[in-house]
Amino acid sequence: MGLFDKLAGWLGLKKEVNVLCLGLDNSGKTTIINHLKPSNAQMQDIVPTIGFSIEKFKTSSLSFTVFDMSGQGRYRNLWEHYYKEGQAIIFVIDSADKLRMVVAKEELDTLLNHPDIKHRRIPILFFANKMDVRDALSSVKVSQLLCLDNIKDKPWHICATNALKGEGLPEGVDWLQDQIKTMRT
Amino acid sequence: MSESGSDGGKWLDAHYDPVAGLYTFSSCVDLADLSGDGESRLVVGDLGCGSYSMKLKVYRGTVLMSESTLLDLPAGLVAFFMDLHEPRIPAVAVASGPCIYVYKNLRPYFKFTLPGLEVNTLEQDVWQQVKEGQIDPLTLKEMLEGIRKKANIPLSVRSTRFLSLETSDMDAFVQLHNQQPIRRQTVITCIGTLKKSTADEDGVSCLVIGTESCDVYVLDPEAFIILSKMLLPAAPITMDVTGQFDVEFRITVACRNGNIYVLRRESDKPKYCIELSSHPVGLVRVGKNVVVGCTDESLQGFTQKGKKLWRIILPAPVITMAAMDLPTRGFQGVLVGLANCEVQLYRDKNLLSTFKTPNVVTSICFGRYGREDGTLIMTTKGGGLMMKILKRTAVFDDRDSAPGPPLAQSVRLNVPKKTKLYVDQTLRERENGLTMHRAFQMDLSRLRLATAKAYVKALESSLTPMSSSLSEPIKMNAVVQGLGPSFKLTLNIQNTAACRPIMNLAISFLYDESLYRMRNPYMRIPLLVPGLIYPVETFVECTSDKGISDIIKVFILHEGQSSPLLTAHINMPVSEGLMLS
Ligand SMILES: Nc1nc2c(ncn2[C@@H]2O[C@H](COP(=O)(O)OP(=O)(O)OP(=O)(O)O)[C@@H](O)[C@H]2O)c(=O)[nH]1
Ligand SMILES: [Mg+2]
Repeated sequence: MGLFDKLAGWLGLKKEVNVLCLGLDNSGKTTIINHLKPSNAQMQDIVPTIGFSIEKFKTSSLSFTVFDMSGQGRYRNLWEHYYKEGQAIIFVIDSADKLRMVVAKEELDTLLNHPDIKHRRIPILFFANKMDVRDALSSVKVSQLLCLDNIKDKPWHICATNALKGEGLPEGVDWLQDQIKTMRT
Repeated sequence: MSESGSDGGKWLDAHYDPVAGLYTFSSCVDLADLSGDGESRLVVGDLGCGSYSMKLKVYRGTVLMSESTLLDLPAGLVAFFMDLHEPRIPAVAVASGPCIYVYKNLRPYFKFTLPGLEVNTLEQDVWQQVKEGQIDPLTLKEMLEGIRKKANIPLSVRSTRFLSLETSDMDAFVQLHNQQPIRRQTVITCIGTLKKSTADEDGVSCLVIGTESCDVYVLDPEAFIILSKMLLPAAPITMDVTGQFDVEFRITVACRNGNIYVLRRESDKPKYCIELSSHPVGLVRVGKNVVVGCTDESLQGFTQKGKKLWRIILPAPVITMAAMDLPTRGFQGVLVGLANCEVQLYRDKNLLSTFKTPNVVTSICFGRYGREDGTLIMTTKGGGLMMKILKRTAVFDDRDSAPGPPLAQSVRLNVPKKTKLYVDQTLRERENGLTMHRAFQMDLSRLRLATAKAYVKALESSLTPMSSSLSEPIKMNAVVQGLGPSFKLTLNIQNTAACRPIMNLAISFLYDESLYRMRNPYMRIPLLVPGLIYPVETFVECTSDKGISDIIKVFILHEGQSSPLLTAHINMPVSEGLMLS
């Protein structure tokens, strides 16, 4: 940890990071982010996101600003406009939606090949969400189908989650926090 | 997940199960949100293999969610909204035999049977007599056979079945059936839906059914009464329905006689007829046009009034066809499944994309499946199930990907505007055509005359004589140089043959020996290479001092032949040297 970070920690100032939350529609992005927010700020009903929405939450040492993008086909072309600002990516997959695993892979590949992402060592956190659903694929199977092993030049991590109960989320967020802290400021 | 060749990677291979055990046709497949959760399901009327194991199957994503047994082979299947209840969940109608089975929430809900057809009264009488015991089965058989030959109303199924029985089985059959009245039933050949009064996506729809008896019925979705009955000249095989029953509608029916008929609201008879050159296999409406695939391996486009727009030849016979509508991207096309294991996508007559399938595709269905708008679902001859998803970034260029005339051919040429001069000229030509033609003919004759005269003159003065022999074509011209009394005579000889040299030629001169003296009046000509000009020179001396001149005749001869190949007359000039001296 750098001196500035220590200083900031003592002063109660937290380092700000911009995170992009991407993934197909209905994968559970909004539900996940909702769960990470302080309980008094949580929403009761979650509706499909239109365009995108900006949410904030804090961990022990970081202050996250999350761009919760809509995953609907017609809004997916908005994603790339925020790639430059993003310092980390959360990619959410509905592990119960086997049919659209190819679509998720296609969008992930497009993301990884985008000029604003391709040459950056930007950390990517994968949430294999909806693990509670019967017949849902395991996180290992999801990472196989998405060919995550091919990502060599970026740190990545996958965890199985249940966003309704918040299971698996802390593990992922801890990993992301560690990654961001080791990144150069 | 491979990207298949010429479709340029437009489709994502989402799922393929080669042993799904689905045996069906495009008419028995539909996509609908059967549970009202925003996720479309796949509903399939599975024909099974053989005359059993017919099933109604429902898929969610890649898994079979439910199946229930069907009583008869399905001829068609549609999902439709039959009422206004909330939540908006469509019902499923399966047409088999003379009945329509309606399922709600995937449970049997209602069965509609088509009205019976007129029964032959003679046949009825005969069976009545059997019932009363007046005639025995053998007489019955004779009488029925008589009726079958003569009657214009065909026999019922019961009678035809009876006629096919062995004598030993007849009694039992009669015992079993003679209590029931005779009925004659038709069967459903195709089924479609027609919005009742609104064009809304989830508006209530009527069922439209075509029957073997050449009728088309429109059924009320709630009461299942016949709202309208229309008659076709032939049995329908497939149809497309558009519009609203209460406002205006159009039913386009492909029939077994090779014609397509268009039925409208106002009339119970077809309004338009398209006569095809071969039998239709599939019919898809794209906007206001109809695209038909025929047994002669062609795909043809027609306007809704039956005007033929185009016809193209397909690489293999058509197996099945389906519309590809993608309203979110404003795309409309036609998918054609071919016997060579290819599926082709056409927009009008332009081939946009082709992909190979592992087996012949027997049914195609495109639409919203699950949460994906552009899903293509196909089943194969071997019972396989294949699902592809159109890429978000896929674009179909308007250009035809089929080999054919180059694009440049359709580029408009920059033809200049018609100028006033051009218009005047055209007018003049139109008005004075006759005189212009005459003037031209006269000028032409004059030209010919002038040419002939010049030729004669040239012949007479031997300007540049040519040999008329085909085997030894030679051209010669003669030049006389000098003032006299000595002249130099140069003969330029050319072999005009394409490639054959000429040998053994000689030149000899004939002249008045009292006037001229020639150094060598007989010369041999070297071998003449084609094309080159050979100058042959000799000297002539004029011996007279009287200031007169004469002609010298030149002959080119072939050695050993007496008739010359070519002759020329040279008009010698007057010798001036002597006069001066
Ligand atoms: N069973 C189960 N359902 C989940 C889980 N996470 C989210 N859902 C449900 O999935 C649906 C979609 O969740 P959203 O958070 O709106 O999905 P999204 O990714 O934000 O969708 P868009 O905003 O359209 O891109 C909701 O009905 C959630 O209740 C999970 O872990 N398990
Ligand atoms: Mg959302």
